[in-house]
Amino acid sequence: MIAITELSKSFETARGAAHVALSDISFDVAEGEFISILGPSGCGKSTLLYIVGGFVVPSRGAVTIAGKAVTGPGPDRGPVFQEFALFPWKTVLGNVMYGLLEQGVARPDAETRARALISMVHLTGYEGFYPKELSGGMKQRVAIARTLAYRPSILLMDEPFGALDALTRTALQNELLDIWERDRKTVLFVTHSVEEAVFLSDRVIVLTRAPGRIKAAVDIALARPRRRAELLLDRRYQTLVVDIERLLDSPEEGR
Amino acid sequence: MSVRLAAVPGLPPLLACCGLLALWEIAARIFDISGLPPAHQALRELPAILGDRGSVLNILDSLRRMGLGFALALLAAIPVGLAMGRSRLVAAFFNPLLMTIYPVPKAALMPIIMLWLGVGDASKTLVIFLGVSLPVIYHSYQGARAVEEKLLWSAAAMGMAAPRRLTHVVLPAALPEIFVGVRTGLVLALITMVTSEMIARQAGIGNILFNSLDMALYDAVYATIVIVGILGFALDVGLERLRSWLVGWATPVHEMAVGTA
Repeated sequence: MIAITELSKSFETARGAAHVALSDISFDVAEGEFISILGPSGCGKSTLLYIVGGFVVPSRGAVTIAGKAVTGPGPDRGPVFQEFALFPWKTVLGNVMYGLLEQGVARPDAETRARALISMVHLTGYEGFYPKELSGGMKQRVAIARTLAYRPSILLMDEPFGALDALTRTALQNELLDIWERDRKTVLFVTHSVEEAVFLSDRVIVLTRAPGRIKAAVDIALARPRRRAELLLDRRYQTLVVDIERLLDSPEEGR
Repeated sequence: MSVRLAAVPGLPPLLACCGLLALWEIAARIFDISGLPPAHQALRELPAILGDRGSVLNILDSLRRMGLGFALALLAAIPVGLAMGRSRLVAAFFNPLLMTIYPVPKAALMPIIMLWLGVGDASKTLVIFLGVSLPVIYHSYQGARAVEEKLLWSAAAMGMAAPRRLTHVVLPAALPEIFVGVRTGLVLALITMVTSEMIARQAGIGNILFNSLDMALYDAVYATIVIVGILGFALDVGLERLRSWLVGWATPVHEMAVGTA
């Protein structure tokens, strides 16, 4: 589904020095796979996601989606950002409908679909609210519904729950898995939480500190659908979390 | 107490007006100079001015020029400001130009512009246009520059092309900041309207003001100043209404809740 080949990205810093954010990243993502990209802050994991989204151009290497090279953003890849990035001048309904109207869907149809999605993310009754009037968790629910509305085949989630409190974060992780179980979209999920990565994913890609290289790819062979309470007591889940934490702590090769 | 006073709409500004008039009246009586007539005398002139067909036509004429200059300025300044905010090249081109023109008092250009365009509408409208353009460009620029990149990315992922993102994402996102510039621009429009008529003395409310001054009709001078003040206040209230209607979504939540407190 997604093929990432020998991807590198370097930026020029404000002082004119070159900063290598990503170095020689290659991996494939199968259709319907839930992949987390895990790494210390500043390892370029978000940059990797932005390159797949077509928002950032790589310095070297290429990304192909179903065999076609990525040259820019497109509705086949739906982003969800940590900053929510809702249109503040649109209501909840207006935000969720936005992508559909943009793609020429008739207003009544767009509204029907948007209302169904708003109900799915448990925000019925808030259709007329502006983003300013919502809590962080509610904003992220709207953002997820807005992205799901135009039916991307791939979800690109950039630390989507990173700005939320622990309780909301847990609730949204559960909701995301419920939503994902319905149609099993391909998901690239950037996070710096090991538990979150293990709980959600089929595979966790661990990146090194800058420049970001792939340190390990860990398969998470835990049965689905996953229930949080069962998983937390599951020896295999605990082992995976500890193993990945050790991986993150371990000194990097070649240093 | 202060909460209850503020709860009556329009009461605080009314009290402020009464206070100002009282101060004026007292100061006029204490200093007792012909250049400062007491408030009640000046205000008595108001019906005379507003009842005079010629004066009203002059005032309307001024407002027409101001409206035209203001509207043209918005039409030109907002796109320029937004383009500057989204393109480093455009910003690099316009920035030095703006920084040079900004500190020049626009009324000081009036005599030169009159040489080109005469003393009629064109010169005055151009001066108003220049006065309004700069703050509007500046704030549109700042507003467009501050638009969150990820809003644009979200729109791009929906399939929205770059030109449409400028009108459908950058413009609405920058609108609260643009309104800051428009409000400043409105005040400057009023100022340049009066000063342009002061220099090109031919018609308009500025002409009434400075003719009265020449003839030492101080009551009429102050009454005209009061009219300009009321015009400014009314236009600002109108703009504020428009602002809260268009960008009410940007009002912080705690401010919206004040009405229920």
